[in-house]
Amino acid sequence: MKLTDGLRWINRAVLSQRQRNLLTILGFAIGVSAVTILAAMGDSLKQFVLNEFTQFGSNIIAITPGKTETMGNTGILRTNRGLSLYDAEYLANLPHIKAMVPVVAGTAVVKFRSLSRATDVVGVGHHAAEAWNMQIAQGRFLPKDDLLQPRSFAVLGSKLKAALFSNKNALGQQIHIGSSRFRVVGVFASKGQFLGMDLDEIAYIPAAKALELFNRDSLMEIDLMYRANVDVDTLLTSVKNRLINRHGAEDFTIVSQDQMLESLDDILNVVRFAGIAIGAISLLVGSVGIYTILTITLSQRKGEVGLLRALGMQQRLLISLFLGEAVFMAILGGMAGLLLLACIQLALSLALPQLPLLFTFASVSLGLGVSIVVGLLAGATPAYQASRLPPIEALRAE
Amino acid sequence: MKSVDVLYFNLQVFTRHRWRTGMLAFCVALGVASVVLLTSLGESARRYVQREFALLGNDLLIVLPGKKQTSGGGVPIYGTSPRDLTLADAEHISRLAAVKSVAPIIAGNGAVSYKSRNRDVIVIGSTSGFLQARNLSLAMGSGLPDDSAEIARPVAIIGSKLQNELFSGQNPLGKMLTVDDYRYQVIGVLAERGESLGLDMRDMLILPVRSAEALFNSPALFRILIELHAVSDRQSVIEQIYQIVKQRHQNEEDITIITQQTVMQAFNNILVTLTAIIGLLAAISLVVAGILIMNLSLISVQQRRPEIGLLKALGASHKLIQQIFVWESLMLVIVASVIGLLCAQLIIFAANQWLPILQFVAPIWSHAVALGVAMLTALVFSWLPAKQAAIVSPVEVLRG
Repeated sequence: MKLTDGLRWINRAVLSQRQRNLLTILGFAIGVSAVTILAAMGDSLKQFVLNEFTQFGSNIIAITPGKTETMGNTGILRTNRGLSLYDAEYLANLPHIKAMVPVVAGTAVVKFRSLSRATDVVGVGHHAAEAWNMQIAQGRFLPKDDLLQPRSFAVLGSKLKAALFSNKNALGQQIHIGSSRFRVVGVFASKGQFLGMDLDEIAYIPAAKALELFNRDSLMEIDLMYRANVDVDTLLTSVKNRLINRHGAEDFTIVSQDQMLESLDDILNVVRFAGIAIGAISLLVGSVGIYTILTITLSQRKGEVGLLRALGMQQRLLISLFLGEAVFMAILGGMAGLLLLACIQLALSLALPQLPLLFTFASVSLGLGVSIVVGLLAGATPAYQASRLPPIEALRAE
Repeated sequence: MKSVDVLYFNLQVFTRHRWRTGMLAFCVALGVASVVLLTSLGESARRYVQREFALLGNDLLIVLPGKKQTSGGGVPIYGTSPRDLTLADAEHISRLAAVKSVAPIIAGNGAVSYKSRNRDVIVIGSTSGFLQARNLSLAMGSGLPDDSAEIARPVAIIGSKLQNELFSGQNPLGKMLTVDDYRYQVIGVLAERGESLGLDMRDMLILPVRSAEALFNSPALFRILIELHAVSDRQSVIEQIYQIVKQRHQNEEDITIITQQTVMQAFNNILVTLTAIIGLLAAISLVVAGILIMNLSLISVQQRRPEIGLLKALGASHKLIQQIFVWESLMLVIVASVIGLLCAQLIIFAANQWLPILQFVAPIWSHAVALGVAMLTALVFSWLPAKQAAIVSPVEVLRG
């Protein structure tokens, strides 16, 4: 039997039972699309979260006061062994460090004439805009002043500017933050939210001024931006050792962005895997459907099988024909599932355009790959049973 | 035909097609069981969070320094503001009639050392009410002195893990610890309770709040926990607290008050939504099973045409034939669902035996939903086959 003959035979077999095969394919298609959608959603969730965390630029090392042996960010807690602006200045001058941003954050009332707004106030250095990928819409960012004695300038987030100045020009105006006066030198372009915090509502002032404002001695965090061609791990150890030398003890925590993303990645992979597992339940039911229908169909085609065997067809060939039928149906199901996926994608992108792509190369190959494997597994037993049928037995069934 | 007869009739069909029935039952049972099991995961997580909050005891008010007026609302997590929230504020709040107890908190981190051993831990400064407010108990020794808010006594309570790390088995009571050059005598050890909502109580040092003020050289409180008398009107008390602090802070309302209940509610909402979504995704498998039901019913109708024709010739109505086929699917699905529910219960039971801490529970509503969805799919997907069966014409079939 030639290959083309075999294919034609399979095609005819599938087509002759159009209704039942269509339903089987539909069931399987739903299973396949469930798996691929959930896998793709897991992927895009991962992408989304990772993007959220890398939107502030990459190649960042973060140093926080307090050694974390047990819990996460201790920067907001009180400490006697904090990170000072002198530390910040020292770190900024280390080799391979491109930029340094000291960070102190808190909430305060920002006032302009009779209008006021209680909001987040973040103390930073003049590299912050460049280091965190923030775009200035008007004016400029904080100038390169002395880290310890900066001028009282402030840069406002777009929403904060709108709340205090509405459409008027904010540049050059005097505002009050807490009880100190600041001059607005710039306004940021809108950047949206990060972890529930509205970045457009923040007022940025020099770190030294923020320490004064909040009456603190220690910075909450120091971000170091290193050059792209540097090995992170060596840099991390060298920065760590230098700071230990300076402080006399390891009383700080130093983490590279890569390390942080890695632990995030682990969590997200678990989520993604769980999604695939849930989709796989539907796929399993769909596969049982293929298996059941194939078995029934073959039991109804005993006569045909017997005839073929009586005419001298080899068992191997029979098995491959029936397996081919199973795989063919599974692939059709897989393709229908992907079509379903494409439709959902289309509907979604019309309704919610900012949603990420579901229909990716990975989801297509996952869908089709799974289809072939399932087709082989589901078809194996019925095909083997059919081939084992003694011709006499089979012919008697006619 | 009586309904008992329909039952028997269909039972015969099932026994005749044992294999086919088995496959279908497997699919439906799998779908039902996975709906129940997955929702039970979500539900157990929800109950776990609820239990954790319940362990914290009564519904507390939590005062944070700082305030945000921004569009998203939002809690000022930094706890940093130009005007400090101080012990004097806490003292004034405690004078309210509705307030039962107040626990001001200073939080920082410090290097705790005993002899040559050293450990970085969270240092909490508070008053005698703190242990009660966080529902902590002591393994040995005594709690913070009652005058913690007035006198900076050099005493400390340590968590169980800190005790192990520094004293490894020795009795720590009466020993002197050093924290950033200040010396404190250990007067108590916390009973082991483990992590409580992200804060590891085992690895912690608790000082009188005045001592913590001195240690960190700052009067700024990190939080104030307020326990109210049971009968009081919460909302008006919250208003009063805002007023008191506003008066004391030059007419500026620069604090935020959250209730434990709102925090718990937020967790609860997230977990309920998540559970529902997971349950729905699992229910897709029931739809796939429904398609299989339809498929097998269609085949069965095809094979049983002579039988149906005979029934019709004997006077069975359109409606009756339809009913027989719909009932066939329904019976199968009900039996399979019950098997699926039992399997789910068995797995939950086994899991609880194996991992007793987690305490899986399947919510009642998920059983009902799984059963309901399964029956609905049976009804929907047996409709077409039943209709096809009903239009079989007796003459045509019997002639064959």
